[in-house]
Amino acid sequence: MQAEIVNKPSFANIVVRLSAGDKFIAEAGAMTSMSTSVQIDTKWSGGFFRAILKRVLGGESMFINVFSTATEGELRLTQPLPGDIDCLELNGNTMYLQPGAFIACEPGVKLGLSWAGWRMLIAREGLFRLKVSGTGRVWFGAYGGIFQREIDSEYIVDSGHLVAYEPTVKVRVALAGGIISSFFSGEGLVTKLNGPGRIYMQSRSFDGLAAWTNAHLY
Amino acid sequence: MDIHQTFSGGIFSESIEGGRASAQIQLTREGITATANSGEQFLLPYRECKIEIGGASDRMVFCRNADRSLTIYCEERAFSKTLADASMGLLDQQIKQRQLLQRKEIWSGRGWLVAFLAGSVLLLVVGYYGVRAAGQAAARALPISVDKQIGDLAYKHIDVGGPEVHDPVVKEAIQKMVDRLAPHAAIKGLKFDVHVFQSPMVNAFALPGGKIVVFTGLIEKAESPEQVAGVLGHEMAHATLRHGLERFGQSLGMATAVTLLIGNTEGVIAAGAQLFQLASVNSYGREQESAADAEGVRMLNAAGIDPSGLPKFFETLKHEEGDIPDAMAWISTHPQHEDRIKALEKLISSLPACVPVPLELDWSDIQKRVGKDVSKK
Repeated sequence: MQAEIVNKPSFANIVVRLSAGDKFIAEAGAMTSMSTSVQIDTKWSGGFFRAILKRVLGGESMFINVFSTATEGELRLTQPLPGDIDCLELNGNTMYLQPGAFIACEPGVKLGLSWAGWRMLIAREGLFRLKVSGTGRVWFGAYGGIFQREIDSEYIVDSGHLVAYEPTVKVRVALAGGIISSFFSGEGLVTKLNGPGRIYMQSRSFDGLAAWTNAHLY
Repeated sequence: MDIHQTFSGGIFSESIEGGRASAQIQLTREGITATANSGEQFLLPYRECKIEIGGASDRMVFCRNADRSLTIYCEERAFSKTLADASMGLLDQQIKQRQLLQRKEIWSGRGWLVAFLAGSVLLLVVGYYGVRAAGQAAARALPISVDKQIGDLAYKHIDVGGPEVHDPVVKEAIQKMVDRLAPHAAIKGLKFDVHVFQSPMVNAFALPGGKIVVFTGLIEKAESPEQVAGVLGHEMAHATLRHGLERFGQSLGMATAVTLLIGNTEGVIAAGAQLFQLASVNSYGREQESAADAEGVRMLNAAGIDPSGLPKFFETLKHEEGDIPDAMAWISTHPQHEDRIKALEKLISSLPACVPVPLELDWSDIQKRVGKDVSKK
């Protein structure tokens, strides 16, 4: 199986070439086009109850599509937001994805939900995060560009910009400054991250777009 | 304790490609030994080890050397205890301190969460009542002429259904009731203006400023003029207590307050009139209904009209309800009449005693007149 991210960074999408026997797992609704030789098998994402939990708590789809082919075929996948897509290679390690970031993965990858803590509710980061582990590649998307950073000590990311992080990274919610400056600086709540570990961020925040749009509606 | 136990974890080191690797960790006599998946071995002696606790799960133990060039971490629950034991007390203190710090942070986090939730609830409650109170206060501060303007404007646009009744006998009868009640109104300067309309609806309503609309259905249904007077007293009380503006103030809340602050009442009048076109016939709040009941019977009593007319009218309607539900508009906008009859009777018994002076009207004649088509002059 070959996979390539094309049209980077603004309107990135994934082109997958499947050979006989290959399987490819994607979030429901991610497929934009495919060869007739490719079959889709729709499954509950990790069983009925887990699927519902993922939908309600993790911001992910209840269903996953498993693509396979008996001969060979091409498959193209995308994400709903304009922005970049990146690929992670898991080799027995774990990564956490923020709700909604997951697009696709190889069959060796395990998708789970992990409790993120009540504080994340305040920061509107989602109470749960998607935990990807196992072996294989994972594709995740973001709104805007994706950039990564190795952090060792404390690092601050505005809420809504964190996309993925390693399990060694501690995520906390904090005020951007004092109470007054947090209110008026327009930064409000931020996430404070503690390394060591790698974090992935997005250059735009959807909440930011929503707020901007809202302000221009009337 | 099994010091030969192997833990799953990982390493951060610049000497590894990519800077990190999963690893198997053993706690040996020399120190923390981590074997990367590639087979490469790393040793961190206990005395060089600085402990940190954190990670996404808040319980990952990091063992780092002084210049932080090597980090060995593990998330397994037994790791910190085994590490404390294996280091022969060298790391005991550090681990305990870090764990304490961690616990403190978790509790302070919970404290903030509780404070945040409590603050949000408080803000909602205070905000709700604040807006209500501000709206009401703003409405009360308006001159009574605003009530009249709103009422007049709304009246022009309200579709009452039937034609206006101009029969002088009917009009005079209603006017007589109003004239007796008016001197006892809670506020002075309100001119009550009664209009009778041909409609089977058993209904009457008051607009802000003293415009009162009575439907012929009400006159036909009432068994005595005192019952109509009771309803009129109640409706007049809505006007004198300025319930319309109060309700309007609540629904527009801050908008009203702000408009008033900048001294523009035209907007308020227009918006108020619009509201009353939609809602004139229905729904004052339950508190306002009770207040209008109390004020209504007080006025009736002071005017020497038997105040039991109002509860009696409720009784009359209660018996007939179900026969013609559509026509029972007044009762349908005035729910819980069972309780209200009781509350009214209690109220009336607490009023200062007075000998009622009957309304001297030929009631059956008036009822006959409204039964016919009397819409023509």
